[in-house]
Amino acid sequence: MRNSTSLKQEFLKKWIKGLQVCNSSSEKKMTILERKKAIKMSADIAMASTRNGTTCWSRAVIANATESNRVVVERILGPHKSSRSVSSVMHKKILKKSRRVCSSRSRRVLMRKRDVEKTRSIAKRLVWKKTQVLKSLVPGGEFMEDEMCLIAETLDYIVSLRAQVDVMRCLATTTEFINGK
Amino acid sequence: MNRALPEMLNCMNAPGTFLAGNSTDMTVLERQRARMKWHQHEHNDPIQLHQQQQGYNFSGNELSGVFSVPIPAGQAQGFMGLVCGDSAVKPDPCSENRWAELGYGSCELVVNNNGAAGFEEMINGHNNNSNISRTFSCPPTVAAEKKSNDAVLSQKISSPAGKESFKKRKADKVQSNKAVAAEDDSTEKRMKGCAEEGDSKITEQTSTKNTNNDRESSGDTSKDNSKASEVQKPDYIHVRARRGQATDSHSLAERVRREKISERMKYLQDLVPGCNKITGKAGMLDEIINYVQSLQRQVEFLSMKLAAVNPRLDFNIDDLFAKEMFPACAANFQTIGMSSEMTNSAYVQFNPVQQMVSSCGLDMGINSSDLALRRTISAPVSIPETFLDTSCFTQAPPTAIWDADLQNLFNVEFQQGRTTPFQSQPFTGSIEASNLKMEM
Repeated sequence: MRNSTSLKQEFLKKWIKGLQVCNSSSEKKMTILERKKAIKMSADIAMASTRNGTTCWSRAVIANATESNRVVVERILGPHKSSRSVSSVMHKKILKKSRRVCSSRSRRVLMRKRDVEKTRSIAKRLVWKKTQVLKSLVPGGEFMEDEMCLIAETLDYIVSLRAQVDVMRCLATTTEFINGK
Repeated sequence: MNRALPEMLNCMNAPGTFLAGNSTDMTVLERQRARMKWHQHEHNDPIQLHQQQQGYNFSGNELSGVFSVPIPAGQAQGFMGLVCGDSAVKPDPCSENRWAELGYGSCELVVNNNGAAGFEEMINGHNNNSNISRTFSCPPTVAAEKKSNDAVLSQKISSPAGKESFKKRKADKVQSNKAVAAEDDSTEKRMKGCAEEGDSKITEQTSTKNTNNDRESSGDTSKDNSKASEVQKPDYIHVRARRGQATDSHSLAERVRREKISERMKYLQDLVPGCNKITGKAGMLDEIINYVQSLQRQVEFLSMKLAAVNPRLDFNIDDLFAKEMFPACAANFQTIGMSSEMTNSAYVQFNPVQQMVSSCGLDMGINSSDLALRRTISAPVSIPETFLDTSCFTQAPPTAIWDADLQNLFNVEFQQGRTTPFQSQPFTGSIEASNLKMEM
């Protein structure tokens, strides 16, 4: 894992670049919500692009962003990267769907069988539910098969989220400071 | 002699915890130097008893001087053997020549020791030494009666000491066996060598053990290296099954997987604040989910705030400004940002505000704000004029207080559980922060 300061600096560079792209792409006056959306999207893309597509969540973030706003993402990242990541994510999606169909039945049967050991099954279900929630939180979490992968991704995601929050807060305070005076 | 011996015994008792193989080169060198000095002393002295005693005293002092730094017991043993042999065979006529040879050899050695290549020659020198000491120790009957008695006495005294230290070395090596599994075989070999020599005569033992140890250690270091390289890259994962646990491949793989998961969960525990005391997977997952959610909400909130703050969506901040301004803010966040993660505890929220107020009241009391100040001073070019208008001393603390202020604002919002679309509060200064603190 890299140094957090270097990560933050890289993120900041990419983010500002993305913001400039967003600004240039829309000539008309934006409302506050539009601006917020643009800022958040550019920040997410910048955060994901610091990982260079090595992690699942970053690819998923870029793919989601591409679905909504292809032009900006391609401008920020360059065309080749985003297309590759999208295809891989789509591929995974299909695979996952097919697997889910197969596994859901067997899981139900298993649950019925385990009725005897109630406490254990309850605990397991609790953990499973929470894992599902976590999967929904981490971008691209639905495609992560095993728990190990999910936890590793969560680790990475938390680290970069922290960096993102720090940088954003820093920028917010400074700009506010400059504008206020 | 009698005065010198207890010192040496003390010296030998002292370094109990040291490994013999660790410092071969340095100690060999030191030993050589000490021997050379001692031999020169011998050459200069006539063969009179009291002067010899002086010599011994000198050597004892020398020894204590050298060994005051902890050194493996074997080295001291070597000295002991040498001393014993010399005291026995000093008046031997042929020994003079040998000593001269030895002195010459050791001189050469010391000259060579300056380079790194002298190691083999040193070993050869040790061979010489061992031969000489053997020849010396063989004819104790040739020596004068007094001196032979002296020698026998010293041998008798030195023999338990040698054994003692030998046992100590053995114990040390056993410990090292436990500690370092990779060196198992080499140390065992060494132990065997020592045991074999332990049966032989004491005077021979002391000197020859040194040479053998040196040889073995030189050989063993290469072996150790090869073994370490072997150990460093294992192709397999070591799994140990307890009694009653299944050992088929599936359950083993499952166990490995679970261990990996728990390991990563530990990392997560370190990463997520407030997760240390929670045991159990469900609780930890809960905590992680909360943390991720809070971070995501923070991102939302901050982007909203940024959108509200500047209406044009262009942050014309060049890279220099980013680079220079950034570490200062990071330094601020290390103190304040810690509190952001602990949204529950009121104490942690309370603390940074207080800190900042005090730092405002006192003039740059706290290190981080001081650092921030310096950074802001060092980057004056790209910062707009407003930064330069007023004095920097009044400028820097308000930024810090802003952070705390914003933090508090966010915490209040977060605890209330709703994300109201941007309540804008004026962040003006320390009074504001203290007011907010009082409200909370």
